[in-house]
Amino acid sequence: MLVGIPLEHENSAIEPKECAVEMSQYLIKVAETRCKASFSRVFGYFAPRLRSYALRQLGNEALAMELVQDTMSNVWQKAHLFDSEKGSPSTWIFTIARNIRFDMLRKLQSRKEDICADDLWPVLCEQTPDQNETSLDEQVTLDQIELLFNELPEKQKVVIQAIYIDGKSQQEIADELDIPLGTVKSRTRLALQRLKGMLSEYD
Amino acid sequence: MIKFHPTPEHLQQFVKGTLSPVESLMISAHCDMCARCQSRVEMMTADYANTEIEQAVQSYDPDFDAMLASITQQPAAERASQIKARRNSTAIELDGKTFELPKTLHRLVKKKGNWSSLVGKLWQAPVDLGIDGVANFIYIEKGGTVPEHTHRGSEMTLVINGEFSDGLNDYDSGDLIYMTGDHTHAPRSDAPEGCLVFSIVDQPLHFTSGLARLLNPFSHLFFR
Repeated sequence: MLVGIPLEHENSAIEPKECAVEMSQYLIKVAETRCKASFSRVFGYFAPRLRSYALRQLGNEALAMELVQDTMSNVWQKAHLFDSEKGSPSTWIFTIARNIRFDMLRKLQSRKEDICADDLWPVLCEQTPDQNETSLDEQVTLDQIELLFNELPEKQKVVIQAIYIDGKSQQEIADELDIPLGTVKSRTRLALQRLKGMLSEYD
Repeated sequence: MIKFHPTPEHLQQFVKGTLSPVESLMISAHCDMCARCQSRVEMMTADYANTEIEQAVQSYDPDFDAMLASITQQPAAERASQIKARRNSTAIELDGKTFELPKTLHRLVKKKGNWSSLVGKLWQAPVDLGIDGVANFIYIEKGGTVPEHTHRGSEMTLVINGEFSDGLNDYDSGDLIYMTGDHTHAPRSDAPEGCLVFSIVDQPLHFTSGLARLLNPFSHLFFR
């Protein structure tokens, strides 16, 4: 094992801050374009460092390599969750490794506590907006829907209004308009598809 | 105002991931409620990442090339859709009152058993965490008192909503309280809205068994 002897280019001359900026840019490229060359730079920098962290933590080469593999796989697959506003690449990657280590040890000990790393440190959870943000989002979406609703064809508008605003059942609408239930259903489906399409364009 | 925080040592261990799952859960929930500890944890995490990863000695492995190749074969993780189909409940209810829980404890809503009435003005709902100890939500109505007791092992209590006193101190929402066999106390709430706490009492008998320790090479990381 060649500890501390670089196998390939090494950025030892680069200041940590510059390096963080550089690594952030690579991570963003990985997220945006699945750029393998960028990922290999990230891997080249972090894998050997993670391996020495993992060896210190786990004291076993096979486990250490498993930890490196799982951590770097997550970096590759979930690079879009990295947020340079929140911290440096090394902090983000450390928290991923720390979480995997925590769950590895739980499994090795077959501990039965129902408490996993994601509960304690939700590093890799998709951001779910908290309540205030949600209501704001919903507000915006409602405003959008109102605008878009007015662009629907008249026949679809009538059906959507009856179901979602007046709270009628599809059968009631069919009876009132004297049209087959199937027509109400297809108008509803078409209208919703259309709204969905318009909303995603709007975004 | 929050007066009772985890010690800096506990926060440090929490950041390293070496604290027990149960204590980590309590600290994580406390940090949801305590901006001070939350920012401390963020700073400690950045510092620790710097010494453990950034400044780490590099340790190469001949398998790195193969590992890199196999990782980049993997597809990207699917991004969660914008709209969550069904959001889990984030609050618990008792007697018409609703208590919003700190984020870390949201997952516990599903694991909560039914409320049962203890001695006068005390309510308890167990939470199944699969731990050797016992986890409970405890609600003390205004004027309710827990009979004086001491602790065989250790007890951790997070005040979720309200205030209570125990003859030793006054506690407020967000306070994280450690109790051991050295403490004898009788919690009582005089707050108009009463007080909801989340409490975990461990059973150290099992944990301190010498045999389990010998069998388990990692026990020192988890067992106190």
